[in-house]
Amino acid sequence: MTVLDADGPGSPSMSAASRSRRRAWRTGFYRSGIVSLALVFVAFSVLPLAWGISTALKEKEAVYAFPPVWIPSPITFENFIAVFNNAALFQSFLNTLIIATCTTVIALVVGVLGAYGFSRYRFPGRDTLLWSLLFTKLFPRVVVIVPFFVTLRNLDMMNTYQGLILVYLMAIFPVAIWMLKGFFDNIPVEIEEAAVVDGCSLPQLLWLIVIPMSKPALAAVAMYSFIIAWNEFLFALVFTNGLSKRPLSVALAFFIDENGIRWGELMAASAVMSLPALIVFSIAQKALVRGLSEGAVKG
Amino acid sequence: MSLLQASPGRLGGRPAEAPARHKPSWRARWNAWAPGYLLVLPAVLLIALMMVYPVVQTVYFSVNKVQLPSFRTTFVGLDNFARILSNPDTWPLVQRTLIWVVGIVVCRIALGLAAAMVFNARVPGIVWLRVLVILPWTIPSVVGANLWRWIFQTDSGVLNQTLRSWGLESWALNWLGHPDTAMMAVIIAYTWAGYPFVMLLILARMQGIPQELYEAARIDGANAWQQFRYITLPSLKAVLLVALILEIVSGLNSFDTLVIMTGGGPAKATQIWGLEIYKTAFTAFNLGGASALSVLMFIAVLVMFVFYGAANKAAQRQRKEVA
Repeated sequence: MTVLDADGPGSPSMSAASRSRRRAWRTGFYRSGIVSLALVFVAFSVLPLAWGISTALKEKEAVYAFPPVWIPSPITFENFIAVFNNAALFQSFLNTLIIATCTTVIALVVGVLGAYGFSRYRFPGRDTLLWSLLFTKLFPRVVVIVPFFVTLRNLDMMNTYQGLILVYLMAIFPVAIWMLKGFFDNIPVEIEEAAVVDGCSLPQLLWLIVIPMSKPALAAVAMYSFIIAWNEFLFALVFTNGLSKRPLSVALAFFIDENGIRWGELMAASAVMSLPALIVFSIAQKALVRGLSEGAVKG
Repeated sequence: MSLLQASPGRLGGRPAEAPARHKPSWRARWNAWAPGYLLVLPAVLLIALMMVYPVVQTVYFSVNKVQLPSFRTTFVGLDNFARILSNPDTWPLVQRTLIWVVGIVVCRIALGLAAAMVFNARVPGIVWLRVLVILPWTIPSVVGANLWRWIFQTDSGVLNQTLRSWGLESWALNWLGHPDTAMMAVIIAYTWAGYPFVMLLILARMQGIPQELYEAARIDGANAWQQFRYITLPSLKAVLLVALILEIVSGLNSFDTLVIMTGGGPAKATQIWGLEIYKTAFTAFNLGGASALSVLMFIAVLVMFVFYGAANKAAQRQRKEVA
């Protein structure tokens, strides 16, 4: 940069034309520098993914070709077809879908109630509860697997949907409450006060006024919950056994049979598993960053 | 249901009753609090069930010998802790955990900051490149781990195949199968998956720095480094602190990537504290020992949390000042 700054503005001998030419050259230089740096980051991010997709679209023999071939020819969908015809994988897919959906719905209910309570009411213990919520967010999951294991055994919920939903909730509901509380705090209270004067009860208030007003925030929280539940691995690994309730994440982690790992199929299945996450992230990226970094902390 | 009847006086966080001449009765105060308690009840139950109880249980187990499958406990005092401290494997475990955490924190934040600076530039088309850079963060951790396991494969992985095709046969190592390279390989994979998040975090803050500051600095003759050193970096202090703490916790917490890529091996080269808890509990079925390990880690995270709270407050203050 210093080299470029040295001949900064106003050497008097320079004509206006040559100065603007110089500036154009400088912008061009700066831009191409930035773009090439950006391309380095893009390469680091995208090349591994590209290799995975390439593997998924290759025929069995081409997967191990030497030297490595990046663009498969011919392109084949046999790996994807094999994945869709795999009954065990399909069961895992269904399990993940059921668990993620239920977790999301419950997290929304707990989240709306809790966030509204924390946002609109003052009561003894409120701050303590808020801090403990924030703390659950940073709670390391590996630390709680033993007590959760004991709890689920005692509740007779090992290897059940209910059990998994319960432990997933623990990872999700604190963030749901924090995100929604941040949103509720910014809604002017006057509308609700007017409704209360008109004789609105608390359930009516929530259902008819608060929830319709917070649709964007609810959508963000729903997507956040869904993705966390969709990707969850540790709890799924510890609290399921056998194929019946095993989610997709665990199925893909141990995608191996007597012939070793079929990388083509594994990459195809991975692509399928990534799709919902990809869609959600492209829609709600900003909300997710906020939720993950600070729980939209306000006041 | 008078309980469910909200009233305007209680909404909006104003004190329940305006400055009363006499103290409101318990009944009146309870009526003011009740709807709040009712609303947060499900959350409180979840906290009790999934946080308070587990902590109590873990501490209790950590001073007991737990017999499976009946969960019969025998009090052993600090035996479990003493065993961890006297175990010759513990110190290497701490070292590996530290190398892992420091490694991923430094790599993720350095790359995230560098990427944020590049992608903050006003250059046409950069927004589209940014979308591509974020991709690794969006895919499930299980998928990312499998992807890198495939890339690092000794015989048929793309990394070694490429090196061989360039004639660099001797560089084609057994990346995940050799204790010397395994840690580096998993750190690369984990950095790859997480640095876009740090970038987004920093980028969001960078875009809030008023452009006038830079203009004023340029007029005063500040060069690019000085602008970075005296404007950008100070404005990012709080967000960098938040990123630091989040990444430390994420490093301590990481499980998926390590289990899938190496399973903690080879020869425990990538076994970190969290994996040790899992293995002690569910392969050695030593729940007491695992609980003692958990308690120690819990204390470490508690310390982190105190810092996190402070950093979060500082970040808010800074945002308010700038905004």
